[in-house]
Amino acid sequence: MKIETKVGLLGLGAMILIVVFAYMMGLISPFSNTNQINVMYNYAGGIEEGSPVRVMGIKVGKVKKISFEPGYKTPQGEETKLRLQISIDKKAWPTIRKDSKYFINLAGVIGEKFLEISPGSAESEELSSGDYVRGEDPPRIDQLISQSYGLAGKIIELVEKNEGSVSNVISQVDRLMTNFNKTLALLDKTSKNKDMARLLDNAIKISDDMAYLTGELRTKKSQDTFELIHKLLFRLDPLDGPAIRKFLQDEGVRARVL
Amino acid sequence: MAAKSRNRIIRWKETLEQLHFIANGSLSIIVFCVCFAAIVTIIESSFHMKIVIQNDSMVPGFAAMLILRELAVVVTALLLTSRVGAGIAAEVGTMKVTEQIDALKMLGIPPSTYLVIPRLIACTLGTVMLVVVANMACLFSAMAVSNSYLGYPPAIFLTAMRRFVQFQDLILAIVKAAVFGAVIPLISCYFGFRCESGAEGVGRATTNSVVVGSIAVIVLDFILSYAFSYLY
Repeated sequence: MKIETKVGLLGLGAMILIVVFAYMMGLISPFSNTNQINVMYNYAGGIEEGSPVRVMGIKVGKVKKISFEPGYKTPQGEETKLRLQISIDKKAWPTIRKDSKYFINLAGVIGEKFLEISPGSAESEELSSGDYVRGEDPPRIDQLISQSYGLAGKIIELVEKNEGSVSNVISQVDRLMTNFNKTLALLDKTSKNKDMARLLDNAIKISDDMAYLTGELRTKKSQDTFELIHKLLFRLDPLDGPAIRKFLQDEGVRARVL
Repeated sequence: MAAKSRNRIIRWKETLEQLHFIANGSLSIIVFCVCFAAIVTIIESSFHMKIVIQNDSMVPGFAAMLILRELAVVVTALLLTSRVGAGIAAEVGTMKVTEQIDALKMLGIPPSTYLVIPRLIACTLGTVMLVVVANMACLFSAMAVSNSYLGYPPAIFLTAMRRFVQFQDLILAIVKAAVFGAVIPLISCYFGFRCESGAEGVGRATTNSVVVGSIAVIVLDFILSYAFSYLY
């Protein structure tokens, strides 16, 4: 082999390896099978280009581009100034619907940020590639801290202004608790009293008897007795006052005769 | 006319021969050495991380970054200093001792153009090519060790690598390679041209070129890394 060919092959090999490296880094993806959507945010909590996109915890794409769009408004009229262009694998595409939600999450030991998409409901429509959707802004820790700081200041101010009434409330609560404790102690004592114990025992016995009785009432014999009484009453029903009187008189007469 | 004069300044045939000697001749030894260096880096990093945080899941990522930015390029440059730098110093030194350089001057050929420029171009290009190949060989060997020794399959290795490594890291390695590749023949030619007479003189020139070349590589590596840390 000629020297030129050998050197040329090495140079070509080096160039191919640069392309391989770019492919490994995900900079070029000639065999990609992805769709793209634009997720709009007002705050993206430190997400970067190349951050992974996950659906139900599985990586299905990445954040391709982050751009600022000062004039963009959602169809609802809300101003969103940050556009994240994300690519999503076509195999995960059917799970993403119009009612899907787009969160920014944190994972791993090193605190890697990623975009989590919650799957939409099957009734909802599918998105089409290139659509614009609104993402859920992650909570801002700095805002939360400043708000908590303000809240703490207000609480301190409130306590300082109404020092008398606050201490009064506390002392009353304290007294209430003492009384409550006393009542509980009394109740405890009462439950340990002999009469109380007897009363409870009797109550238990009565309930046992009641259970036995109700059980007996459900037997076949009781049912039959009930039916017989019913029939008897049915027969006695047409008997009115005069008939009974007559019967009694007759019976009375017969009694006198006998 | 202009083309002719350019052809005289850059002697392509000589450059190509030097490129073949530098790049193709050093390829196997460099790939062999950097692969072992990468394997050691992965194993040592894992060992240290397990001691420090009882977890080595980040090792593929930052070891890949270290390999790409520093290890492959510096090991390649140091190996080239000892192989190519020594060769050039001995060759030029012998030419000096045997008065071939004086002969060139008498023929009206500037020795710097005749000897230095082809070696400078060849070594710069050759080092860049070798560093790209060495980097990728390092990454693949690191990936193989991560898979077999640490239990991280290539997909996880690549994910961790993407977290730390950027494409600019390869650009930085290529820039470093070009600088080292230019410095090695310049130092070797300098000591070759200043060679004292006799075999002893040639030996001293060769030794000096390797020592100074190695120091230059390490110091320049620091300067370039420092400068690049400001860029990104």
